Amino acid sequence: MIEATSPDVAGGKPIQIHDPSLRDGHHAVRHSLGADQLRAYARAADAAGVPVVEVGHGNGLGASSLQVGRARLSDDEMLSITRDALTNSKLGVFMLPGWGTTRDIENAIAHDVDLVRIGTHCTESSLAERHLGILAERGVDAHAVLLMSHMASVEQLAAHCARLVEFGATGVGIMDSAGHYLPSDVTERITAMCAAVDVPVMFHGHNNLGMAVANSIAAADAGASILDACARGFGAGAGNTQLEVLVPVLERVGYRTGIDLYRLLDAADIAERELMPAPPKVDSISIVSGLAGVFSGFKTRVLDISAREGVDPRDVFFELGRRQAVAGQEDLIVDVALALRGSGPGGQS
Amino acid sequence: MTDNDNRAAPGRLSVAVLGAGLIGIDLMTKIIRSHRLDLGLVAGRDEATSGLRQAARLGVPVAAGGIQSLVDVERPFDVVFDATSASSHAEHVEKLSPLGTMLVDLTPSRGGQMIFPTVNRADISAHRDLSMVSCGGQAAVPILHAITAAHEIDYIEVVTTAATLSIGRGTRMNLDEYVDTTQEAVRRFTGVTDVKAILNISPARPPATFRVAMSLLGKDLTTDSLRSLVMGAAAQVRSFARGFEVKACSANDGKGFVAVEVTSSGDRIPRYAGNLDIINSAALLVAETYAADRLSMAGVVNS
Repeated sequence: MIEATSPDVAGGKPIQIHDPSLRDGHHAVRHSLGADQLRAYARAADAAGVPVVEVGHGNGLGASSLQVGRARLSDDEMLSITRDALTNSKLGVFMLPGWGTTRDIENAIAHDVDLVRIGTHCTESSLAERHLGILAERGVDAHAVLLMSHMASVEQLAAHCARLVEFGATGVGIMDSAGHYLPSDVTERITAMCAAVDVPVMFHGHNNLGMAVANSIAAADAGASILDACARGFGAGAGNTQLEVLVPVLERVGYRTGIDLYRLLDAADIAERELMPAPPKVDSISIVSGLAGVFSGFKTRVLDISAREGVDPRDVFFELGRRQAVAGQEDLIVDVALALRGSGPGGQS
Repeated sequence: MTDNDNRAAPGRLSVAVLGAGLIGIDLMTKIIRSHRLDLGLVAGRDEATSGLRQAARLGVPVAAGGIQSLVDVERPFDVVFDATSASSHAEHVEKLSPLGTMLVDLTPSRGGQMIFPTVNRADISAHRDLSMVSCGGQAAVPILHAITAAHEIDYIEVVTTAATLSIGRGTRMNLDEYVDTTQEAVRRFTGVTDVKAILNISPARPPATFRVAMSLLGKDLTTDSLRSLVMGAAAQVRSFARGFEVKACSANDGKGFVAVEVTSSGDRIPRYAGNLDIINSAALLVAETYAADRLSMAGVVNS
């Protein structure tokens, strides 16, 4: 076994890697992963010693929909397949209140989930109060994550994190859902969050501006102890922080992940071969999405609708940014496209 | 509040609002203008809240004893609007129904008879506990009811977006009930079983106008047919919610998409808060309809 840790820095500060390839990656393939795909990747990640494997529809429990995309497998199927494939890794799920409900959480608990993440838009932490309370009562590890976090100030993020801990969160974090941050942005935010709470702090990057690995290292240096990363970056838009790059880079700069390098590289190869037609890349649309600060997951819908309505998808992204669309507001894409095309309600499409 | 004289003027009903949050206070401003309803009390749980202070400033009697303030009255109210929390509604029914009070439920509790004024007006006076379902339900069901009466629909999805400033703590704690009750209402009034409801909260500035996007799967959907059904239903809803507007309406390849937005008009709440306006305007219309039915049955000449 070849440890990713280089010998001279063994024993560095531990960092927990959380792998949402089988959840965020769903955004890249229209939520179409099947049983064999989930099983193959979950086994490989488990063998590599990835501490947490998260699974589900791209928007989490209960989110299969026309709005975002209908999942090929039910939550039940995804949970039981992934649970069975994991021997050491913990099983994680994600839920957005308003999309999933307590019933979905109860179902995940029945599948013996280890960690539930409750997500809200970065300024709406109060939407997580009830579900964090329920999870605390049930004794389930419950982390709270703030989505589209570039849309809130540093002070707001720190204050929301403190409230989330009061609601019962055992960890808090931010998602750079639009891949908008530069490393200095991340340093400032994570530093403020770490000062505001005494639970583990998480960072989840997207690579729209090519900054995901650098942003994640900045997060770790500022005190984050949980980092999200996906095999080959498999995730929405330009993809997430690339797992098999992040882990050895972390080790080189002195952190300890406990992940086996060769098996991690094997898992990434399996992911590329089994899960995706091609690894996510920083394409022109993803750059615009990152600059505009629009949820990376909108990409496939924006491309579909822009092609249908004959408008420039880059214009659609910038207009969605101007309207401050939040994750989940995919229904705005049609309105924006029609407005750009210059037709009102009832336009032929 | 035993000194409170809540007797309604002749030909009118005495009403009270329970809950002094965003919904309760907007409802109060609407009731004050009603020619059929006399607002006798706004009851909250804390005198220091801005809602009760606002009510007091308008000269409306207020009480801080919650449900008990409505029970401890000499003469029970004819109608009580419940603008509290879904989990409390059953208790409120239990306490008020024996007094002969009709309840109009603004929480997503799913306890009472669901009412959409342009769809099942006739049910109003036949029941004593009326559910207004949800803001998204009030905007979507009239449209979906019209579409499903004319088309074979396999799946319906309702995505609501409301501005963060228009969503109070009660709603934030009741998201599960919002989703479940909205779904159930769509099922009951369309006959379609495969239904999904989603709620987004937008922090955009200026605030996003209340919006309900509906997606439908049905092989025979056409833009022309959809448009005529939707415009017809929307015109009816506009009879009580003037700011109800169709923003998108199209069908393509077996998939229909309709988006409506609702602005509030003429009240103290801001224009974007159409969510408060549509459910409260519907609730007001329901109570006024009950008043008219009751007074005509009693042979009182309507003024």
